[in-house]
Amino acid sequence: MGLLSLLRKLRSHPDLELRILLLGLDNSGKTTLLKVLASEDITHITPTQGFNIKSVQSKGFKLNVWDIGGQRRIRPYWKNYFENTDLLIYVIDSSDRKRFEETGEELTELLEEEKLAGVPVLIFANKQDLLTAAKASDIAEGLNLNAIRDREWQIQACSAMSGEGVKEGVEWMTKTCNSRKK
Amino acid sequence: MPSKPEDIMKGFKLNWMNLRDADNGKVLWQSSDDLSIPEKEHEARVPKKILKCRAVSREINFSSKEPMDKFRLEQRVLFKGKCLEEWYFEFGFVIPGSTNTWQSLIEAAPESQMMPANVLNGNVVIETRFYDGDMVVSVSRVRIFYV
Repeated sequence: MGLLSLLRKLRSHPDLELRILLLGLDNSGKTTLLKVLASEDITHITPTQGFNIKSVQSKGFKLNVWDIGGQRRIRPYWKNYFENTDLLIYVIDSSDRKRFEETGEELTELLEEEKLAGVPVLIFANKQDLLTAAKASDIAEGLNLNAIRDREWQIQACSAMSGEGVKEGVEWMTKTCNSRKK
Repeated sequence: MPSKPEDIMKGFKLNWMNLRDADNGKVLWQSSDDLSIPEKEHEARVPKKILKCRAVSREINFSSKEPMDKFRLEQRVLFKGKCLEEWYFEFGFVIPGSTNTWQSLIEAAPESQMMPANVLNGNVVIETRFYDGDMVVSVSRVRIFYV
């Protein structure tokens, strides 16, 4: 992987600048996923107390990925980062069954946000390496994702830890971004 | 109520900075604790092989006690005071009591255009200026030595 190769794949997007927003509850694995995308070591990750941004530039094309902390204290600030988002990645800890309802509520609220209207959403059903993980199809059903009609969406099972499924998510992202005409 | 400039400045801290080989994400240099001391020119001893990397990333980590609305930075790579490369980045809102990172990644110049380590050594400075709107919040300078 690596961010430059991601950028190269996204380059046929009509804009010169692309903004990807990474959200989800605390401990869902957003920062780990971001680091996996950048081929970085994932052994020392601590809860994000603000944001982590990765900016890549190549031949006049820019990609900015924004990972915002998911703790309850921080969630009210998410709205400050919605503007100009081209793609939303929503990460779910598939083993955290006790909080499926909570994560579903947060996702529903995001999808109702005016500033995110029509923005494609990729849902990563993360932590599939854990035995207690729910299947992506079960999560999709539980969250009633099939009711989403106002935008492109996809749910992708993955494990940021092992890397499994991340590539497939990235493929959907690049396909979706590159086919969007503004 | 927007925070007062002096409170913003007092509550701002640059925690660390690192340089990575962007191809494999390996850290080639990471700052020591003294980076947070403002007004001081810091020194970085970076392995020469960084000049062979196809892409290098620079990552900074900072904390802010106060909220900011129009946070942005300007980062320049200077060679003998002359600007070789610059980044402008608008963060916009900064969460009160937050710790944040920003990483920028850029492809290296083709090897034929790359100046050799002995020419660059001690002559390259990474200057990062942080602003809230037009107000300067902090300035950091790191001089690079290739070892």
